[in-house]
Amino acid sequence: MIKAELIKRSPLRILEKAIQGGLGKGNIGVLASRKGVGKTACLVHIATDKLLQEKPVIHVSYSSHVDYIINWYENIFKEIAKKRGLESAIEVHDEIIKNRVIMNFRQDGVLTKHILKSLEVMIRDGQFAAETLIVDGYDFSQSSPEDLRNFREFAERMGLEVWYSASLKGDEPLFDEQGVPYMLEKFLEEIDVLISIGFKDEYVRLTVVKNHDQPAPGELPLKLDLKTLLIAEDK
Amino acid sequence: MRTETAKMRNIGISAHIDSGKTTLTERILFYCKKIRKIHEVHGKDGVGATMDSMELEKERGITIASAATNVQWSGHSINIIDTPGHVDFTIEVERALRVLDGAILVLCSVGGVQSQSITVDRQLKRYNVPRIAFINKCDRVGANPYNVKEQLIDKLGHNAVLMQIPIGLEDKHEGVVDLVAMKAIYFDGHEGETVRIEDIPEVLKADAEAKHERMLDAVSMFSDELMEAVLEERVTEELIHDAVRKGTLSQELTPVFMGSAYKNKGVQTLLDAVVRYLPNPGEVDSLALDLDKDEQEVKIKSDSEAGCVALAFKLEDGPYGQLTYIRIYQGSIKKGDELHNSRTGKNFRVGRLVRMHAGSMQDIEWAGSGDIVALFGIACASGDTFVQPGLNYSMTSIYVPEPVVSLAITPVNKKSADNMTKALKRFVREDPTFQTYVDPESKQMIIQGMGELHLDVYVERMNREYQAQVETGKPEVAYRETITRRADFDYTHKKQTGGAGQFGRVVGHIKPLAEGNYEFVDEVKGGHIPREFIPSCNKGFQSALAKGCLIGFPIVGIKVTVNDGQSHPVDSSDLAFQTAAREAFKQAYMKAGPCILEPIMKVSIEGPSEFTGNVFASINKRRGVIVSAVEDGTFGRVDAEVPLSEMFGYAMTLRSLTQGKAEFTMEFRKYGRIPENIVEELKAEYEKTRKDSASKKHRSFKV
Repeated sequence: MIKAELIKRSPLRILEKAIQGGLGKGNIGVLASRKGVGKTACLVHIATDKLLQEKPVIHVSYSSHVDYIINWYENIFKEIAKKRGLESAIEVHDEIIKNRVIMNFRQDGVLTKHILKSLEVMIRDGQFAAETLIVDGYDFSQSSPEDLRNFREFAERMGLEVWYSASLKGDEPLFDEQGVPYMLEKFLEEIDVLISIGFKDEYVRLTVVKNHDQPAPGELPLKLDLKTLLIAEDK
Repeated sequence: MRTETAKMRNIGISAHIDSGKTTLTERILFYCKKIRKIHEVHGKDGVGATMDSMELEKERGITIASAATNVQWSGHSINIIDTPGHVDFTIEVERALRVLDGAILVLCSVGGVQSQSITVDRQLKRYNVPRIAFINKCDRVGANPYNVKEQLIDKLGHNAVLMQIPIGLEDKHEGVVDLVAMKAIYFDGHEGETVRIEDIPEVLKADAEAKHERMLDAVSMFSDELMEAVLEERVTEELIHDAVRKGTLSQELTPVFMGSAYKNKGVQTLLDAVVRYLPNPGEVDSLALDLDKDEQEVKIKSDSEAGCVALAFKLEDGPYGQLTYIRIYQGSIKKGDELHNSRTGKNFRVGRLVRMHAGSMQDIEWAGSGDIVALFGIACASGDTFVQPGLNYSMTSIYVPEPVVSLAITPVNKKSADNMTKALKRFVREDPTFQTYVDPESKQMIIQGMGELHLDVYVERMNREYQAQVETGKPEVAYRETITRRADFDYTHKKQTGGAGQFGRVVGHIKPLAEGNYEFVDEVKGGHIPREFIPSCNKGFQSALAKGCLIGFPIVGIKVTVNDGQSHPVDSSDLAFQTAAREAFKQAYMKAGPCILEPIMKVSIEGPSEFTGNVFASINKRRGVIVSAVEDGTFGRVDAEVPLSEMFGYAMTLRSLTQGKAEFTMEFRKYGRIPENIVEELKAEYEKTRKDSASKKHRSFKV
């Protein structure tokens, strides 16, 4: 399969369709689940899909080492290439990694103000025209809506769409009747798209809880393939 | 004398130039009774400090090469590895840091934490070396150790804790107050050799009490036992020492000591701290690579009874031949033992085993795990691993990257030429990434290495250590050529006009090879090319790879398949098939989408995060790709992939962009394709030099 076909047939098109054609610039999307369910896998798949479309991505990580994140990208790319029989996979790989920068911060050691400055420096001085920002390992339990608002304003100013992962902690129940995690309730105003990821009937499924200002479509016909850790269509 | 591992220390003394490192080392040697007299670094007696074994260091009063020396202090055996203080001498630094288990970070009480202290500290951190700090020069005007301790916290991010406070500063500096024992310590005698312990002077009591409490607060975080003891008011010195040791080993605590090496104050207490708080070799995890299992990592244990694994970390040419400094990681070495060099695959016998003091040596019979000793007259290179025959471990990867930069050097006179040969011979042995050859066309000596700076250091050392003055050319990048698609060949080499004829025909194809430089596949059926000429074809193709048609650099990544051919009963020969293969390759090469590859370097830049923007911009300007950026408080590291050809002069650029506060390391990453516009430039340049040399040849014929 050639690259263009692979992009067209990606299961992420289903996600995009469900959320009004995508997250969109200046908006914040959050993937929420308990630890170890597959948030990073989903984020990296979303990022790889952007990279295949030649859209630059900055991946901000608070928790993991850079090598660990690079490994995630390598594995996800390898699985996509294998599953779809991507032609000239090595060339495509070498091309797309030029559009990816990984930035690692310590949330307790570096202030958001400082992080945003570093991101701006990367985009401006590094002439890295990022369109998507992936933020993994951000601890919502240690954060405030103001902090997220700062990110949002930055995203609007720089024309970025921002995908977060949120690790849900605490005792059951984690969600309210609308499916919104209690932990994220105070952030809801700042979030445009909220997707929860969780086990249901032996599969990890994706459910849209907030969909911009439209009604949320609920459970998507998508699942996380536990073998490849790719988002796949649930046929 | 056999020293048990628990009583061994392998330490380095790290500092920036002029913080008094050499003076401190000199005093340590003196108090440990290794030398009888103290010489000053910039001394007028012409002897210089004892640890400086290289001429250059004596002259400048700084230390570049690492020499190891052994001292004894309160029943412990301490090996001091004199780490290079200069940031540019990367290989020396990395090798020395590798064999350290702990370090003393020396700081000047006036200058404080300077950019170079930041660099050495980062290096120690990278190698997970636990450290204690020594604030030197408390006798100087403007001395302020408290300030320096704060800088350790702010600038280096250390959890620095004062273990002492000074008794007087500047010209009134008399000694220190030990905040653990709560005693005043004075250093009497002409050379400070008599340690006198007294009660704390009245004027310092309140301050000492306050700082003692603060120290206890910080230190008790590392020991529940101490914390309980503090609450129950039954703290003992032993409990404090244990907690400080725990904190230091985990690199979460930096105990701070102080004094003035020059005025002989505080050195003995620092030695006590080395023994108390820095790890013994058994407390440090070491990994080796199992060469029988594809370089899989294996943990080795500091046990003198196990099979020997030792690393040769430094070679030195002495008046009596080559000395090889080794660190024994596992097992022991006895005089007369047979050892195996895992790089060369050769066995050798240990003739002489010596323990080193910078200028002199002592013969020993046996050395155990964790120790640092030297072997005499062993043919090896720096970085080699010696093991007990039967083990096939290596402490470093045996894959040495190909050099990526070359530089032509010409000695200025006959004497320099002789000295240059000697120097190069030694450097090549010391550093596997440094190579030399004579260019067959220009007859010039070419040195090759991993970067511009790498070669600069050797040119400088040639001059300094060997008095070999050389003129250098322009550094050149080692480009490669390769192909991008399959192409067929069918070539007949025929020369049958009188005399012995030549005939050979080869048919087949070439295609890109993903891994490796060259592969030859013989698929000839029915004897169309006689068996004996198949190797000739192979040889012919290989010779064609030496020089590509685009810009004259070697061709890599080629798979050649020969599947048919033709021969002549009389006129076919080895030479005829070699020629046929060479020409066949040329025929196919231009059809196979040839392209130029350039070395892409993995560049890591570390420095204060305020300069990250400048660093990003500088990478961007150099056709670089930023892979990652890591920020940890005030410090940042940027990893990028940058073409080597764009990295010339980067050290200078970076210095000016960051006020000298950032440093970078560079290593070969891969070969990558060059963008079209640059290909054209390179081709034009190649054509020009080819024409120039052709016209020169033409002229010389006329003459």
